Amino acid sequence: MSIADVIDRAKTEGRTVLTEIESKQALEETGVPTAAARLARTAEEAVNAAKESGYPAVLKVVSPDVTHKSDVGGVRLDLDSPEAVTAAFAEIIEAVRKHQPDARIDGVAVQKMARPGIEVIIGMSKDPQFGPVLMFGLGGILVEVLKDVAFRIVPLEPRDARQMVREIKGFPVLQGFRGQEPADLEALEKLILKVSAFVEAHPEIEELDLNPVFAYKDGAIAVDARIVVG
Amino acid sequence: MAQPTVPSSDIKARLDRAFNPRTVAVVGDKRALGYLWLRSMSTFQGNLYSVQIDPSEIPGIEELGVANYPSLLDIPEEIDYVLCAVPRQISPRIVADCIEKGVGAVTLFTSGFAETETEEGIRLQEEIAETARKAGLLLIGPNCMGIYNRRLGVRHSWEQPAGDAGNVGFISQSGTHCINFSLVGGRHGIRCSKTVSFGNAVILDAADYLEYFADDSETEVIGLYLEGARDTRRFFRVLRETARRKPVVVWKGGVTKAGARAIYSHTAALATAPAIWDAAMRQAGAVQADSLDETIDAVETLVYCRPASGYRMGLVAMTGGQSVVITDAFEREGLEVPLLTAASYEKLSGFFNIIGGSYRNPLDAGGTIGHGFLPQNLARLLDVLDADATVDAIAMEVGAGFLARRMRENPAILDSLLEILSAHRERSRKPFLAIAHPGHLEDVSAMIRSRLLERNIATFTGFQPAAKALRRAIDYWRFREGMD
Repeated sequence: MSIADVIDRAKTEGRTVLTEIESKQALEETGVPTAAARLARTAEEAVNAAKESGYPAVLKVVSPDVTHKSDVGGVRLDLDSPEAVTAAFAEIIEAVRKHQPDARIDGVAVQKMARPGIEVIIGMSKDPQFGPVLMFGLGGILVEVLKDVAFRIVPLEPRDARQMVREIKGFPVLQGFRGQEPADLEALEKLILKVSAFVEAHPEIEELDLNPVFAYKDGAIAVDARIVVG
Repeated sequence: MAQPTVPSSDIKARLDRAFNPRTVAVVGDKRALGYLWLRSMSTFQGNLYSVQIDPSEIPGIEELGVANYPSLLDIPEEIDYVLCAVPRQISPRIVADCIEKGVGAVTLFTSGFAETETEEGIRLQEEIAETARKAGLLLIGPNCMGIYNRRLGVRHSWEQPAGDAGNVGFISQSGTHCINFSLVGGRHGIRCSKTVSFGNAVILDAADYLEYFADDSETEVIGLYLEGARDTRRFFRVLRETARRKPVVVWKGGVTKAGARAIYSHTAALATAPAIWDAAMRQAGAVQADSLDETIDAVETLVYCRPASGYRMGLVAMTGGQSVVITDAFEREGLEVPLLTAASYEKLSGFFNIIGGSYRNPLDAGGTIGHGFLPQNLARLLDVLDADATVDAIAMEVGAGFLARRMRENPAILDSLLEILSAHRERSRKPFLAIAHPGHLEDVSAMIRSRLLERNIATFTGFQPAAKALRRAIDYWRFREGMD
């Protein structure tokens, strides 16, 4: 399904928030590497999906009404067997029903658990004056507490992506602090440029969040993704 | 706000007519204004006309030697530029006359429009904008001072210089800052080519003027005072394109919360988040400044200094204390003060007076060049810094107070200093900055600074402003070379 189709379907269904699976499909199509997720409507489908994508698996609730999946018990990590997947499926459905009884549940997204990397975030929001603005920062607590982020106006040029990555105070973390594995800066820059081109080509996108992106010494991958359309 | 119905290439050609007029008409100048406009335009080299219908005002206008007509339409030749100073209720009629006359552009000096946040002000502004937009009239303002062309003597203040050419353009949402830039900048060696104060920007906005100045061959460096753009994305795009060709120094007003409130009542512009604004400016390659002084310092550096792509300073001061603080000032702005090469130290050891001095970098050179003033030593140490590959730029404390005292005994000292610095500047490919603190002998120091500027030497009144301006200029030069 093309990006336009995904957006059209969401609009027909009266949704402005694309599901994680839809968001990742759209991003994959544009060349942004993601931890691809498959939709499973039953525990059996979840086990099959996990078999195809590989273990350890991650299950996340798919619901147009749930914004923060982990807050409603909608995420299970590091599942290493069909039994664990089957149990997690049931647990997720139950937890979400309990926390948010009126939430529609489409099923769960199954993906292979990404190997850990340096967590970064890439986001897009619309400034009332400048229009689409990209944001880059380290993930987790640093972005929330320290507001250690860099902004650029869309469309970005290669120099902009290069500067963004280096502009944050936490840049030494990306360089491999105290013997930690460094991040593949070129891959991050490419990712930023692809997101810029993607949102430029689709002005109907109002918001985009890749959070987190795992940066490795060889590549980077969007582990979670969320797109809001207008 | 809709764009004017004329294409931008057409706007450029017609702005060129208004910025380089052969004929100018001032509508509504009067005694109560002190004939501000007719006196300002007295230096205009083309034909100047007045339009005024009040019989009690006409004799005073004619005394100034300006031909007066009851209407723009009665003037027996085409009018390239109109300055309109009538009360706001009458301005729609003058705008209609401008359209019928087919003028190049009109500036509405008149205020009392949307910036007053009153119903009548907003309504009048919309009415005028609508009329102008439909007819494709180039309207500057309202609530502004319009065009200054130094070469042609089109001015918006009678204090502004006229007759000779300049190379710096200034675009300003504020009339005060526009005039001050030309006057204060003049004291810092800045000669304006053209400036424009554009106020509420109902038709022409900052981006239109920027596009025009980008193509204007007279204008080599552009300064900009902005409170807000109507179409920020277009402004950003034009700025990004222009900065690749010419340096653009952007001074943004209203960056704080209370400042944002103030800009609304000044020019009715909306605020934007500072972090986004800063990022956009860096992305566009603009040089940012936070005040008139910073704008002037940055422009001066860009006009007078040769471009450099590195941040390593060679510093020269006259005393130990100044050596320390000049170093702090430059390092604080992110510039480096490295040790020199062994070859440089060997050369310096041959003539440097280390009693009460030092030459590691900074060079505490008072004893070497100051006592008795040994010009050849100054020339030698500047040569050493120029030849040293670890030095990208040179800044020197001129010691104006010291020099001023010496000049009382021997006025020729200044000429000799100017010769050496001027010869160094001609020869060297590295940026060179002179810093002459006003000290307690402000008049003499000011004279020394103006003499340095006459020799095309960028001169500053303090270490920090000099360091800040140079840092920004180097950032820009690196941007232009794709090294940032």
